[in-house]
Amino acid sequence: MTHVVTEACIRCKYTDCAEVCPADCFYEGENMLVINPRECVDYGVCLVECPVDAVLQESEGGLERWLELNARYARTWPKIIGKKEVPADANRWAGAINKFEFFSAEPGRAA
Amino acid sequence: MTTENPRRKPVHPQIDEGMVHGLVHGFYARVRDDDEIGPIFNRVIGDNWDAHLAKMCDFWSSVMLMSGRYKGNPMITHMRLKMVRPEHFERWLFLFAQTARDLCTAEIAELFIGRAENIARSLQLGMFFRPNQAAPQGGTRP
Repeated sequence: MTHVVTEACIRCKYTDCAEVCPADCFYEGENMLVINPRECVDYGVCLVECPVDAVLQESEGGLERWLELNARYARTWPKIIGKKEVPADANRWAGAINKFEFFSAEPGRAA
Repeated sequence: MTTENPRRKPVHPQIDEGMVHGLVHGFYARVRDDDEIGPIFNRVIGDNWDAHLAKMCDFWSSVMLMSGRYKGNPMITHMRLKMVRPEHFERWLFLFAQTARDLCTAEIAELFIGRAENIARSLQLGMFFRPNQAAPQGGTRP
C-alpha cells in the first residue's frame, strides 16, 4: 500500500509533507508533488500534515488515476526532502476544485 | 529538524517523547528475549543496540509527534534482510501490540498499533509480493 497525492495539491504545493516524510519519498513537479509508491511505507505523517488534505491512502479506493500519475512522475521529477517557499497564490487555490486542467508535467526546480 | 508549523500536532495530545522512549525500550526488551524474532534482531544489530534504540525513538517520534528526527529508507533496509519471513512480522506486531497495551491507555495503544500495522503491511508488500505469484512468497505453492 502507499499514500497518494491528489488533485488538491495542484497549484498549492505547501511541501510540509516532504519535510516530515521519514522515508523521503516525495518528488516535485512544477505545481504539484507526487509520492513514489515504491518508497512509501504508509507512515501516514504526510496525510496528517497536508493543509489541503491532498494526500490520501491508497486503501481508500478509487484513486487509480492518481496512483498512476504519482508512480509515473516520481520516475522523472526531482526528489524533494524539505520545505520550500509556498507559492504566493497557494491559499487562493486551496479551496478550488477541478484543478486538473492546471496540472503541469514539468519537473520542479531543484533546490 | 523540521521548521515551526503551528498546525503540526502530535497524533494524540497525550503522546510525548517520554512515552515514545518507554514504549520503544519496553518493546525491544521483549524482542531481544523472544525465541522467534530475538535471534534475527540480535544477529543484525549485534553490539549496536544503543544506536538502534535511539534510532527507533527518533523513528516513532517522527511518526507520532511529527518531529522529523528520523530520515531513512526502511524499505531498502528491510529488503536486504533475506531471512525475514511474513510470520516474523506477525510476531513483531504481536509483541508490539502487547507492549503498547501494557504501557499506554487503550486509545493511545491503538494509535501506535494502527500505524505499526500499516507500516508492516507496506514493508511486506515490498519484500514478499511477486506479481507473477498468486500468493506472497512463503505461501502454499502448487
